[in-house]
Amino acid sequence: MEFDLTQLKPFWEWFPWAAANFVIVVVVLTIAVLVLGTLFSIIRHGPAKGFPWFIRLCREGLKDLIFISPRRVAALTWLSVKESIRRRVVLAVIGVFFLTLFFAGWFMDADSSNPTQLFISFALGWPWFLVLLFSWFLCTLSIPTDLKNKTLHTIVTKPVRSSEIVLGRIFGFVIIGTVLLALMGTVCFFFVVRGLSHTHAIDVEKMHATEGADQANPALTAKTSSAQGHVHAVRIEPDGTAVVEPSHSHTHAIDIVKEGDKIVRCEIGQPEDELIARVPRFGDLSFLDRNGQKAARGVSVGKEWNYRSYIEGGTDAAAIWKFTGVTESQFPDGMPIGMRISVYRSWKGHIEKGIIGSLKLYDYKQKRWVEAKIFTAKHDVIDLQNIDRQWQDRDGKTVDIFEDMVQDGELQVMLRCDDPTQYYGVAQADLFLSTPNAPFFLNFIKGYLGIWLQMVLLIAMGVFFSTFLSGPVALLSTAGMMIGGMCHSFIFQLATGYTPNGDPLYGGGPFESVVRMLTQDNIISEMEPSLRTTVVQSLDKVFQPILYTVSSILPDFRMFDFSNYIANGFNVPGEMLIKFFFRAAAFAIPAFIAAYLCLKTREVAK
Amino acid sequence: MTTARSSFLRKIYYLLGMIPLVILLYTLGRPATKGGLTNHPDPGGIITQIREDEKSGMSQSSIGDLDPTSETVKLATMGLRGVASLLLWERANDYKMKEDWAKYESTLNQIAVVQPHFISVWIHLAWNLSYNVSVEFDDYRDRYHWVIEGVKYLKKGIDSNSNDPRLLWEIGWIVSQKIGRSDEHKQFRRLFKNDDLFFGKFYPSIAKADRDNWKIGKEWYERCIDVAEKTGKRVKGKGPLIYNSNPAMCLMSYAEALEEEGTFGDVAKYAWQNASKAWHAFGEKKIPEPGSTSLYLGHLEKYEKKVQDAVVELNALEPGLREKIHGEKYKALTDQQRSALETPADKRTDKEIQAAAQAEAQLEISTEEIANRVPAEKRAQAKKLAAVAQENEAIAVDIRRSRDIVNFAYWKLRSEVEQDEDALAAREAIFKGTLRFREAAPVAAKELFHEGFLKWRSVIDRYPKLLDDSITVDDLMDEIKIYRRLLDQLNESFPDVFILQDVLKKHAENK
Repeated sequence: MEFDLTQLKPFWEWFPWAAANFVIVVVVLTIAVLVLGTLFSIIRHGPAKGFPWFIRLCREGLKDLIFISPRRVAALTWLSVKESIRRRVVLAVIGVFFLTLFFAGWFMDADSSNPTQLFISFALGWPWFLVLLFSWFLCTLSIPTDLKNKTLHTIVTKPVRSSEIVLGRIFGFVIIGTVLLALMGTVCFFFVVRGLSHTHAIDVEKMHATEGADQANPALTAKTSSAQGHVHAVRIEPDGTAVVEPSHSHTHAIDIVKEGDKIVRCEIGQPEDELIARVPRFGDLSFLDRNGQKAARGVSVGKEWNYRSYIEGGTDAAAIWKFTGVTESQFPDGMPIGMRISVYRSWKGHIEKGIIGSLKLYDYKQKRWVEAKIFTAKHDVIDLQNIDRQWQDRDGKTVDIFEDMVQDGELQVMLRCDDPTQYYGVAQADLFLSTPNAPFFLNFIKGYLGIWLQMVLLIAMGVFFSTFLSGPVALLSTAGMMIGGMCHSFIFQLATGYTPNGDPLYGGGPFESVVRMLTQDNIISEMEPSLRTTVVQSLDKVFQPILYTVSSILPDFRMFDFSNYIANGFNVPGEMLIKFFFRAAAFAIPAFIAAYLCLKTREVAK
Repeated sequence: MTTARSSFLRKIYYLLGMIPLVILLYTLGRPATKGGLTNHPDPGGIITQIREDEKSGMSQSSIGDLDPTSETVKLATMGLRGVASLLLWERANDYKMKEDWAKYESTLNQIAVVQPHFISVWIHLAWNLSYNVSVEFDDYRDRYHWVIEGVKYLKKGIDSNSNDPRLLWEIGWIVSQKIGRSDEHKQFRRLFKNDDLFFGKFYPSIAKADRDNWKIGKEWYERCIDVAEKTGKRVKGKGPLIYNSNPAMCLMSYAEALEEEGTFGDVAKYAWQNASKAWHAFGEKKIPEPGSTSLYLGHLEKYEKKVQDAVVELNALEPGLREKIHGEKYKALTDQQRSALETPADKRTDKEIQAAAQAEAQLEISTEEIANRVPAEKRAQAKKLAAVAQENEAIAVDIRRSRDIVNFAYWKLRSEVEQDEDALAAREAIFKGTLRFREAAPVAAKELFHEGFLKWRSVIDRYPKLLDDSITVDDLMDEIKIYRRLLDQLNESFPDVFILQDVLKKHAENK
């Protein structure tokens, strides 16, 4: 999983910057609206009457926005809810949802190598699609249909403000969508839990002594029966303790039933560590090169994806993470460190032996690195290494994490690969301090909150478009906005010419790309200097600011998708969720005001 | 009755009408499950069961359009299946680049649903899983898992396209070659043998002793040949000669693998016997060759005999004619060419080698030349004999060329030699000697190597042609190299006259 750690910036670091940006955009937009509105009024009513007319309009507008009556909004919201239910689209969506869920078992491959990810992706993906599709139709077609049926004309004859009509619509649709999401979320939660639930059996007759064990009292090993396309290896120690080895990213609790000394039965429980929400604490990453000198990144091993960079084994190359705010109360029993390392072998070596690495902690008192753990790397899986609170260093001196290694809440962890000419690949999020897991169901709810935020944004945008466009055009405009929002990151990259990692975007802008596609030119090589090249690259330069503006106006819909966190077993941080509420509001509120202004200027709402 | 009431009743009727349709759809189209969610296996709906029942003669591809999953997707994409598959490919590439393997795998399954009869897609993506994804992992068990994922993916493709031999060949290739020839082949073969999940799913009744990648690979190749012969379809990109040789070659590799893993005696002997039989059967099999008549690799001697008989008969028509023509041709050679021919082959300079080759070409006497010089009254018969000789020689040339492609003579001889008691004993002694050497017991190892080389001497004396092929020589040289290291450890020098001196000589010549 690729973590975008910029999203995990603490709320109070992010908010002033975001608020300042928002205020700038609002001021610019307000000035633009005022200037354009004045000009429009002067053109429409003449220089003498136009300006006073516009001032009156602004005054009324401010009144409409400030003196919104919650009672009237509630009544209009209820009206929207009733209308939506009357249209029976809700029932159709519920029907489709249950029908899909009923048949989903046919197409969900529980034997997949990562069924958790598959089930969670479905449980978050399918309701996302249905609810957004439903909201899209509902919010864009509602006002145009009311205008066509003259229903809106009846409403405006009542003592209600245009802002209340818009708000009533938005709230009404949001309520319907929320109820739908809540229903789908509840059902999907049980679908996931039930779908992943399984157990195994062990044939006690087939247990055998571990190789090289004490033959008088040997440890036993066995294989479980197969379920959901996997088996587990089980090891039972002479003292009766048993361990079920992880497979398919989970393990099981096991209960050994004995009669005298003889094992008569093994009872295996439901999967453990499968539906979890890890709460990681990330640090800042820096690198040392093979000579032990500071480096911006590790080396490249030639992979196209440069999310991770690599440290060479058997040299002074290392990756160092610096954590802040580490306190004894958070980690009283030692330091649980989670790692997800990409192992790269420059030669095969002994294929049955893993690549050895070590973790070191910085001793602030003695100004030295102290080896804390030697381990065999597990490629691309989360490996939890617990470093004891105290241990003896190579000189036999006892070191204590909180007395020697933590200074002013700061802790430094160094990762090294110890096998010469082999490599470890890491990114900033690949090593973290592991704090107790959060409840999975809360994380699941957070995933649905992400969908809910997208739904609110879509409804606000859809209602805005429907106040001045006909139904089909509003539908297309909202869809365009949604698709643009889905491709926000790509549009932004095209506008800036750089990827999020700061690497240049190969292939050029839209015009250059078209030429490259038509001439079947690869994206890496420079285009031949010619008039054509100059023209297309100039056109791209002209187009870039337009793309930049578009990417600034469009909300990044993918940002609200938390399914990756949940499917990969990571908690969606509460702070991040709050930031996204603000972000959604930053788009939804202006959309509401714009919708109100558009409806206000329409003949019917005057 | 009010309008609202009649409208309500109408909906109820529709609903009631839908129920039998849903039941019918469920009964017909339900796919088979292994009990993934419920742990209760289900053989699936009627159509699924008919597909599974190969005896019914209804192949998957002939009713592929009835596949409910694929059909649903086709309908759901509203004619934009091409666009959907393009987007899925794009997404799959992105997941592959970002090493998100679970999503990559699930996207591949979606592509397969969208394009179930596009053979290249199955082949390309299965190859990706077995070869490209598997090497991304560090642990050999993970690597094996992804090799098998590729096999399973191809199996799904075969279920939908059972009449296409290409997928059958690919699965045979991955099971045999990827598992049996990778750098991790020892580990892969061990894991394959113990893969209860794989065998439980695809070969529930197979005996544990038969759980060998080469044997399973052979089965898939045989199915490929059957389908190719029944349907008349070719295995695109593979010549009939190659894919027809694959099953027998699997048995050769199986026997080799047994010995490499330390299984000798009757088991190994039986494996080589089977391989030899299969190779013989391959020689007797009619191989359709593009652009020429079909041929039998095992019939070379028959055609050579026909050529020889015709030439003898032709020569007998005018005794001394061949020698006369030879004399004329010899006279026509240049002094340089004659001198080159008279110089022993191993003492010729580069120029002399070239001159001798030209001279030999010029000295060749065709049957047509002889027929043209035979007295007129016998010329008609001579021409007939010359035609017979030429015709059979052309077939023999084709067979020789085809034999070279699959190294037919070598494998024929090898599979016979390896059944020899001395050869089996030689292999066993050298295997044990290598083990002792690795266990730091050089004295015992030396004894075993001596015993092994002695047995090899006896084998080579009985089958001197064995050294004509560099494979055997290289194979023996690997053993001799270990022996040299062993002697180094014992501070002993390599003997000046080694028991397998001819092997060393041949190796030097080959180099």
